[in-house]
Amino acid sequence: MQSEIIIETRNLTKVYRDFWGRQKVRALKALDLEIRRGEIFGLLGPNGSGKTTTIKLLLGLLFPTTGQALVFDRDAREVTKNERIGYLPEESYLYRFLNAEETLDFYGRLFNMPRAVRRQRVADLIEMVGLDWAKRRQLKEYSKGMTRRIGLAQALINDPELIVLDEPTTGLDPIGTREMKDLIIKLRDEGKTVLLCSHLLADVQDVCDRIAILYQGEMKEMGRVDSLLKVQDVTEIRVTGLSAIAQEEVKRAIEHNNGHVLNIGNPTTTLEDLFLKIIRESEEHPGRRVRGVVEKT
Amino acid sequence: MVIDITDVTPLFIWLLGPEWTEGRLFHPLPLTVFLLLLIAGLSWLVVRLRKGHGSTDRGAARAIGGGSAAAIVLIALGIIAWKLLLLGKAEEIAWTLTLADFAEGLRNSCFKGLQWLLGGGWHQGALYWWFLVIISAAAAVFVLGWLAVALRRGPIKALETSGRAIGDCALDIIRISPRRVGALAWLGIKESIRRRVVVVFAVFILILLFAGWFLDPGSIDPARLYLNFVLTTTGYLVILLLLFLSSLSLPADIKSRTLHTIVTKPVRSSEVVLGRIAGFTAVATCLLLIMGVISYFFVERGLAHTHVIDADSLKTVEYAGRPTGRQGVTTRVHEHRHKVVVDPSGNGRVETEQGHWHELDEDWKELLSKESAGKKYQLGQPEGMLLARVPVYGKLAFRNREGESTDKGINVGDEWTYRSYIEGGSLAAAVWTFQGITEERFPDGLPVDMILGIFRTHKGNIEKGVTGSLLLRNPRDGPDVKPTEVEIFESKEFQIDNRLIPREVRTPDGKKVDLFKEFVSDGEVEIWLRCVDMAQYFGVAQADMYLRAHNASFAWNFAKGYFGIWLLGLLVITLGVLFSTFLSGPVAVLATFGALLGGLFHDFMFRLATHQTYGGGPFESIVRILTQQNVTSEMEPGLRTTVVQTLDQPAAFGLWLLAAVLPDLSRFNVFSKCVAYGFNIPGDTILTYTCRTFAFVLPLFVAAYLCLKNREVAR
Repeated sequence: MQSEIIIETRNLTKVYRDFWGRQKVRALKALDLEIRRGEIFGLLGPNGSGKTTTIKLLLGLLFPTTGQALVFDRDAREVTKNERIGYLPEESYLYRFLNAEETLDFYGRLFNMPRAVRRQRVADLIEMVGLDWAKRRQLKEYSKGMTRRIGLAQALINDPELIVLDEPTTGLDPIGTREMKDLIIKLRDEGKTVLLCSHLLADVQDVCDRIAILYQGEMKEMGRVDSLLKVQDVTEIRVTGLSAIAQEEVKRAIEHNNGHVLNIGNPTTTLEDLFLKIIRESEEHPGRRVRGVVEKT
Repeated sequence: MVIDITDVTPLFIWLLGPEWTEGRLFHPLPLTVFLLLLIAGLSWLVVRLRKGHGSTDRGAARAIGGGSAAAIVLIALGIIAWKLLLLGKAEEIAWTLTLADFAEGLRNSCFKGLQWLLGGGWHQGALYWWFLVIISAAAAVFVLGWLAVALRRGPIKALETSGRAIGDCALDIIRISPRRVGALAWLGIKESIRRRVVVVFAVFILILLFAGWFLDPGSIDPARLYLNFVLTTTGYLVILLLLFLSSLSLPADIKSRTLHTIVTKPVRSSEVVLGRIAGFTAVATCLLLIMGVISYFFVERGLAHTHVIDADSLKTVEYAGRPTGRQGVTTRVHEHRHKVVVDPSGNGRVETEQGHWHELDEDWKELLSKESAGKKYQLGQPEGMLLARVPVYGKLAFRNREGESTDKGINVGDEWTYRSYIEGGSLAAAVWTFQGITEERFPDGLPVDMILGIFRTHKGNIEKGVTGSLLLRNPRDGPDVKPTEVEIFESKEFQIDNRLIPREVRTPDGKKVDLFKEFVSDGEVEIWLRCVDMAQYFGVAQADMYLRAHNASFAWNFAKGYFGIWLLGLLVITLGVLFSTFLSGPVAVLATFGALLGGLFHDFMFRLATHQTYGGGPFESIVRILTQQNVTSEMEPGLRTTVVQTLDQPAAFGLWLLAAVLPDLSRFNVFSKCVAYGFNIPGDTILTYTCRTFAFVLPLFVAAYLCLKNREVAR
């Protein structure tokens, strides 16, 4: 079932119009996308590129102008699909007058969970996000990082099959960021599908299996992270154990020294470099899908 | 309204019968079987749909869309055919399918509980009108929606889309989860507390604390004043609070995006709307319960007082040189004092003043002893102040000064023609005929309550009320039989005067007869009212005299009064939630406030829209203001008049439409008026107003759900 498609968009387009129906901005242009079960998929793009619009369309928060968005093979506007989805918004839009327990219990009730199940699940999640010590405090007293954690807990209250994370590491300290990334990978390992969008390219590079890069509402690139970042025309040899004297001779012939070759293969650029190159290319040639950027790197 | 079905096929008549009442379908067995099958079928369908998953599939959407379109076309054709059949026989067209008729039907249905709801003989009731209005509105929305989609996607696709919309709407309502609604209602309550609902309590307590400064316990009817005050204050405070809570809640959630985390859970728009309504209704219920209890004690404590009778104030009254008893007065408290009357046998009573009296127990007789000089007696708490009278109304007829029947009395020049006057010192009388009078119902005699208007043509003894008399007559007696005088009394102007006509009545020839044997036939009795003083007049209307069957519990009646405010609050909440689903917070507040005002001035709006007021519509009024013309004079014929009156036509139609859609909220004050004036609120009234409220709440809820469902909350 690895290839089972969880999210599919067909020619998905969103045009924002003003009160009089005049076109204001075309936020998304004919997006075709497929996200399969068990993968971590990252949506990348600068501000206004349409990634949040895509997520909102997939969650039914916005309606497509044309095209179709399918989640679990159902229309994105259908409510019942949400039973299998967990959503962590860009900022944790939670009721600040509730405490952590009340918040999670409230969202558990929205999933029609019985009281006993809810109570157990709330306790487990509070422990998982490390907020046991602050579970009776109102969310308005929480720091940004704590709010993020409780936001994540509410996204997982229903043990979802698909988790949609909008900027998941925003507001988290380095340890929190690491824990969030570990959790995302753990969720993937449990067979769940994760769709995330982020500005933090290093985070995306660390966790995503596949990514799509959007720019001005159009998809510019999509593929596996490792293959996208591979530089084809350069060979990288990573060695260790070389003495200082021998380093001079490495250029001539590594094998003539006693060094141990650890890896011979293609070096990778950073996602940041790739991202910036695609954006630059798109600005030079608007409307054209970017090809061969990776090769030139 | 009579539905003429004589031209319809015999099968139809056989099934439904003339006037839809005597057909085969209504015979007990087939009807029972039909109803049972209907209920079972509907229950099965609802259970099945609740268990189902997903939305309306393509086939079902097409079937629903096609079926609805076919039904609308068939109904439309049926109406046209009906009209064509009756063409040329205009007088036979007893009904027309227009919104005006529906609104008129709803407004004019008689208020008799179930009869009002289901109609006499279970047809022609308000419920059917309501269904007609709802179905017509739904059909109009369907046609408009279909047209909008058809323009972009073609007629067949539009039919499928419309069918899916109907199917999804039905599913979203049938599959409402009580647990989710409960959670959202709980959120609404928490939010209300966060928004400092308790401040309203503080304001309320503050108002009550200072109320003592401006509420005059010495007024002519202090109970009415106090009750009016607490009911009005509670009403305004709660309604304003609910208006703001309900119309600001959803927009605030949309603005802060907290709604995003709700609608991305498996929560239906119907549940969001119902949750809000339920939450705010729960808040309103708690508020009204607490405020009701506080108000009750405030009224009781505010009206509580006692008087003291000083033995020295009791003076012997003599008639023709012989003592006939004693009379005195109490001390003055709350700006009034009571007259104390003692009959020759030593039985005393405290006369009614300001709508109440005080009871005397056995101890008070010490004041009548010879050694009573300087002794004082303290009366108990007031009686008869806080009442819930259960009246039995009669039918009013008049006799002129020669004693002949007439349809009304004399007009003494009042512009308000509610009361008709009878002349004193003549044979003129107001005659009430009461029905359902039995010994079991009135074992002690007939307790008569009167509210009389007085018109004096000369001052007379201004300290003394105009004298009147009550007479009894058997309705089955011939026209020559005169009524029997049973009581002469001193009138109390515009106050409720309580009189008891005892069971034992003395006839003019001195015989003692039983009231029920002599004057009541088939439960009917005539009570005549005459004015005794020459050249003075009594003014009466039908409701000015009634028999008090008994007094219901005042506390319970008080609770019913608060139930009236609760119903009004529910309407305001639903309106607020509806507007908040598609408007921003401040605009939703304004729209709800506008609807509330429109509802309170409903009658005026209707009269304005149907040209029953002076001054014309908005454009004509502007012209009149600018040209300084008064409202009663005719506009001069000419181009200007034609233009403004033409422009007023669509404005009047818009106003009429608005008046037809908005609930008539002014009628809800019947609850507070009944409580304040001391009348029991009948069960029929409660049923009628509850149905009326839910008749608006249900479609408003569906409209709010549709608005939210079709709104992009992330925009």
